[in-house]
Amino acid sequence: MRDSYEVVIIGGGIIGSAIGFNLLKMGVKDICVIEKSYVSSGSTGRCAGGIRQQWSSPMNVRLAMRSVELFKNFEKDVGMDIEYKQGGYLLLAYTPEEEEDFVKNVEMQRSQGLDVEILSKSQIKSKFGFMNLEGVRIGSWCQSDGHANPQIANIAYSMAIKRMGGDFITHTKVESIDIANKKIVGVQTDRGYIRTNTVVNAAGFESSKIGKMVNVDIPVYGERHQILVTEPVNHFLDPLVINFNHNYYIRQTKHGSLLMGQGDANPMPGEDLGNSIEFLEEMSQKMVRDFPLLRNVHIVRQWSGAYDMSPDAQPIIDESKDLSKFIYATGFSGHGFMLAPAVGESVAEMIVHGKTITMDISNLRMDRFKNHIEIEKNVV
Amino acid sequence: MMYDAVIIGGGPAGMSAATILGDKVKTLIIDENDRLGGQLVKQTHKFFGDHEHYASMRGFEIADKLLKEIQKKPVLISLSSTVIGIYPQNTVAYVKDGQIQKVQYKKLLLATGAMERQLPFVNSDLPGVYGAGAIQTLMNQYGIFPGKRFLIVGSGNIGLILAYQLAQSGVEVKMILEALDKVGGYEVHANKVKRLGIPILTGHTIVRAIGDEKVEGAVIARVDKNNIVKGTEREVVVDTICVAVGLTPLIELAEQSGAKVSYIPELGGYVPLRDERMRTTNKDVFVAGDLSSIEEATTAMMEGKIAAMQMVEDLTGENLEDKIYDDLNSLAIFRSGPKSAKIRTGLEKMGINVPKIDLPKPQRFERYDDSKLHAVIECTEEIPCNSCEYACKFDAIKVGININSVPSFDPAKCTGCALCVTSCPGLAIFMKRSEDKAATLGIPYEFLPLPKMDDKMWGLDREGNYVCDVKVKRVVKNPNKTNIVYVELPSEFADMVRHVKYPSKESPYVCRCEEVTLDEIEKVIDLGVTDFEELKRLTRVTMGPCNGKNCKMVVLGILSKKTGIPISSLSHGTSRPPTKPIEFRAFLKEGEE
Repeated sequence: MRDSYEVVIIGGGIIGSAIGFNLLKMGVKDICVIEKSYVSSGSTGRCAGGIRQQWSSPMNVRLAMRSVELFKNFEKDVGMDIEYKQGGYLLLAYTPEEEEDFVKNVEMQRSQGLDVEILSKSQIKSKFGFMNLEGVRIGSWCQSDGHANPQIANIAYSMAIKRMGGDFITHTKVESIDIANKKIVGVQTDRGYIRTNTVVNAAGFESSKIGKMVNVDIPVYGERHQILVTEPVNHFLDPLVINFNHNYYIRQTKHGSLLMGQGDANPMPGEDLGNSIEFLEEMSQKMVRDFPLLRNVHIVRQWSGAYDMSPDAQPIIDESKDLSKFIYATGFSGHGFMLAPAVGESVAEMIVHGKTITMDISNLRMDRFKNHIEIEKNVV
Repeated sequence: MMYDAVIIGGGPAGMSAATILGDKVKTLIIDENDRLGGQLVKQTHKFFGDHEHYASMRGFEIADKLLKEIQKKPVLISLSSTVIGIYPQNTVAYVKDGQIQKVQYKKLLLATGAMERQLPFVNSDLPGVYGAGAIQTLMNQYGIFPGKRFLIVGSGNIGLILAYQLAQSGVEVKMILEALDKVGGYEVHANKVKRLGIPILTGHTIVRAIGDEKVEGAVIARVDKNNIVKGTEREVVVDTICVAVGLTPLIELAEQSGAKVSYIPELGGYVPLRDERMRTTNKDVFVAGDLSSIEEATTAMMEGKIAAMQMVEDLTGENLEDKIYDDLNSLAIFRSGPKSAKIRTGLEKMGINVPKIDLPKPQRFERYDDSKLHAVIECTEEIPCNSCEYACKFDAIKVGININSVPSFDPAKCTGCALCVTSCPGLAIFMKRSEDKAATLGIPYEFLPLPKMDDKMWGLDREGNYVCDVKVKRVVKNPNKTNIVYVELPSEFADMVRHVKYPSKESPYVCRCEEVTLDEIEKVIDLGVTDFEELKRLTRVTMGPCNGKNCKMVVLGILSKKTGIPISSLSHGTSRPPTKPIEFRAFLKEGEE
């Protein structure tokens, strides 16, 4: 750790790491990422790794599509195999309302150039005969969706940053941010003071704490989501399946294990990352019913992670109006990993060029909350 | 020719009897082998038991010692002689040098031993399927290896000992199968093979041998109450299958002699009925050893002596009651442990009074002072053995009057001499000194080549898994060939490492669930990953079904060694539920099945 950097990124999760990597790629070498614990110790380390483009707003679809472009080249660009697989995403509709939404969304998504289609129940049956499809009306299917290993991706970025000449400082906490004349002058950490004029707040569910250090209100809070993993079984499931109606998602990793989770009925706020036995009970009942072949499969481990929830369950990416060069990329609400490559690129562009070049992400600015809030519905 | 006493069978029982009968009455001992000793001659392991009964000696050494005693006495020995029958008028007929010989006896001792039980499985007639005794004979008497890769069926002492001997010879023992849900033999024997990395699969059996002209593999499966569990079959690649599923007494001659037999499974099947002093229903015929009940060589020797003394009393009228009582008492104590429960039941069925003998609990002593070299005794099963007590010249180890008691150890009296380590037949005693960073560990070692000073070796845990690198500091050679290798290792692992071996070419598995090797872990650390959590995510170590219970310490040790950060300062991850893998169906509510 040096005593001065051009850019200091707070938070070494997938978002902070992607931003750091893209800055270096654009030639900004004098940067450091500060991580309070180890790489992938926060939400990224607890994430299931789905990479989806089927969203309900056109801009989100485009941002996700850009991310997929970057994931395709991840191994070459960043230098590590992250188990990326375009095995598709299958969304299941059970009610007429869901069916109507799916049809509408698919139409919009196709207009953005996404390879998405509606599958009839019999089409789903012939593709995934092992599933119990009782009550299913239709599915929404996108082959170019997929999944990867978020933990390895996070560490891959961190190693690339170090290799490219940036600093990635773990086990270091930010204690305060110094301001003089409405400008950032430095960051105090528990391991020393860093002079800098540019700070990126990528602290996930703790980004509001970082915001408070400079009196910038960031309406993001942590929400516990639980997840479990099974023993490895022979490969049978290519896509990630989302069942909004039965409230779960499931995917099979390259290793063979199955990762799955749900949105708890009353998600615990804050940073408590404990586990509940009810989660295992609820998931087990759903799995045995919808995936009868998993009946005798063993659960190996459960854990939980915090979604960094924003008021409309969509990311907040912006530069503060009140404090120059205080940039935040947070509030990803459970889909930060899949957007990280594109967000990393856009935020790096904001820092280098003062605005985004590749993508228009203006709908993710903070000022949207002054108006009507349109909540993203396609979230588990 | 008329003899006072004829002994058929020159194994431990017959030989022990001959040492008593030999200078009292006119005695003939007949054996079909070309030397006396029976099964003892192929036993290269140290025997358990009482010092008076040759504890700590190896089987073939006991045979030599008994033979020397017999040779001092006017005993006639007829070797290479096969008894073909017992005929009326107390006549024994046997073939020697192609000629029938007939002798008569006043008293007969049958010590014909037992034969190996068969196990029915498909292709059990393929070349490459052997009984344990056959393999021991080939290997230990003739120096011939029937194969390179062994599957052993049966985890009684014979199967366990054979596995150890095979490993000593440098061949691979793939696994030991045991149909019951626990190991049959002594725990210390089982531990000896486990720390060599030989797994013992309880609740498993062989279904069939694979191969056309010889054994090329085997299909094994889980068993539940004698039934093979469908769907659990799997193949293992081996070239030799060794069946060690127990012994059956050889009763033919006993029946011909007029002794009644009865089916008592606890004693091994059909056995001759006999009294406490080994006399059968024919007053002139005695039995001893495995013929009377399948047990240890030690009990065979005691029985042989008791039978012989009674025969002397019968023949000469000499009063040997005190000695007989002493030996009966020793035998009762020997059989008072939990491992002899079956034998006691069998004897009771035969109408023999089995006295109840208490097993005193071992005395507990203050915490060990780890900064001085002391013994660590890992003998927790009540088995008949007190060789450590006898070996210790400083009164630090007590077994006491009941030889089945677990030894009490007083570390304050231990001088670190390690004589107990050398004497223990179970190789269950180690030496340890542990200081802040480094520890010294003394490990009983019966392999060749003997390690040399400053050699780097692998420290293995109780299941034979790699724990850490160790450095050889001292090698103590002992006349009984249980040598002691003293190694230096990080003190965190002094209680984990229980065996050492020279590094193999292949990197050892550290995380067996996810099959991650030492090499792979070190490579990732060399990339700059020095946090356990990151290492875990990149290599999957500790992420398998055991959740790191088995290998987490080892991984931390590797990390500590490579980074110089003490283990206590490393993060060690989180212990997440469930602590054991659990099936989805376990969470179904009743009636949802």
